Amino acid sequence: MEMTPKIDVADDRLLRRMLAGDEDAFTDLYRRKHPAIYRFALHMSGNAAMAEDVTQEVFMALIREPQRFDPARGSLSAFLFGIARNHLRKRWEQDRRLVPLAGDSEDFDDFSSSASASSNSGHAVGPALSFTAELDSLDAVGRVRRAIATLPENYREVVVLCELEEMSYEEAAAALSCPVGTVRSRLHRARSILVGKLRDGHAMRRVPAVGE
Amino acid sequence: MKREVKDMDCAQFERLLHDLDRPGTEGFSLREAALGHAESCSVCAQLLTQAESLDLALRAVAERESGRQAPPRLENLLRDEFRRGAAASARRRVRWQLAALATAAVLLLALGLSLRHRAESPSRNGGSRATPAAVATGNSPALASDSASEQGTLADSQVADSDSSTAFVPLPYADTSAASEDGAIVRVELSRSELASFGLPVTDLSATDRIPADIIVGEDGAPQAIRLVSQSSLDD
Repeated sequence: MEMTPKIDVADDRLLRRMLAGDEDAFTDLYRRKHPAIYRFALHMSGNAAMAEDVTQEVFMALIREPQRFDPARGSLSAFLFGIARNHLRKRWEQDRRLVPLAGDSEDFDDFSSSASASSNSGHAVGPALSFTAELDSLDAVGRVRRAIATLPENYREVVVLCELEEMSYEEAAAALSCPVGTVRSRLHRARSILVGKLRDGHAMRRVPAVGE
Repeated sequence: MKREVKDMDCAQFERLLHDLDRPGTEGFSLREAALGHAESCSVCAQLLTQAESLDLALRAVAERESGRQAPPRLENLLRDEFRRGAAASARRRVRWQLAALATAAVLLLALGLSLRHRAESPSRNGGSRATPAAVATGNSPALASDSASEQGTLADSQVADSDSSTAFVPLPYADTSAASEDGAIVRVELSRSELASFGLPVTDLSATDRIPADIIVGEDGAPQAIRLVSQSSLDD
């Protein structure tokens, strides 16, 4: 499907000024864009130091090679998320100790099989999520956060982008360099897995929480 | 148990379940039908409840996380980097401008030298252009103002006067009125007797060797002037 990227006029204006050497424009752009990038890196890595490093790398890349951004291929946000994702992968390759969960694939197998069983039977629906009543508490939010952190990387990134950062499927597809249909199917799968994790209490397992 | 409620079956409901609140999707456009289906199907109703709970949970996390951002020192660091980059970029621009100017200057110089070389090259190849008119009027520094009597004599098959290679002697029958601005210098080899017949000072007329000489040929093809070529010129 042909995607027509939306052009954010404010981003475009700031970027042009930044390219002309306007430091204030760069600062505005950074302040607009960096929180989402930082949070994305934080959710993906579970490590504040790495999230900071990745955010730095992303904006260094924008400063040093702004010409790499092609508005025809997606929004500036998608471009920045794409850089962040590449840096995260490089970091994980360099230091696998910082990957949040070494047993992702095992978890994925467990939950995919249970989710598949649920899906195939069509009616094997478990009890309703019990934590929704306590969402106001830090602990409940922590449980959801940890559940997200246990998702396999491909699923975790669509949850972070589409659910936490409220990106559209198209924007997420541009950031992840994959088709919109792939984003949609990954997100549906990820949500099914999250429902299973939260329902069954898998998220209670001790895993590195965001920012810890 | 096959369920088809309000134009939507369970499979379709499950396919659309996670898009019901996402504008621009098929699930969002069929939301009412999906909700209608859930009202009539307890299993799908439970799935809907779970999905809505998950939405709430994710929204709570997003809200809780919304204030998170990188520490301020990162902004300062990046601003410093931007400043350095902008300064370097400005320096690069100046360097490019200088390089462009230098290139343009070199190209102009090369063009000038090329044109000059083109203008001069025929004479280096023995066919340079001369001005017969100058020969006729004696304005050319290469033209002898007088006849061969002022030049030395050719001794032992050599050019006696080293200046003879730069002084043209007008030929007796040359038509100066036919001389135009342009003419060609042609290098020839002539016998001593022929050179003597043009009034050039040569010795030993009986020798059989041939002596190099330059002749100015007018545009009409008629020789206008002649000069002897020194050995040194030939060596060059």
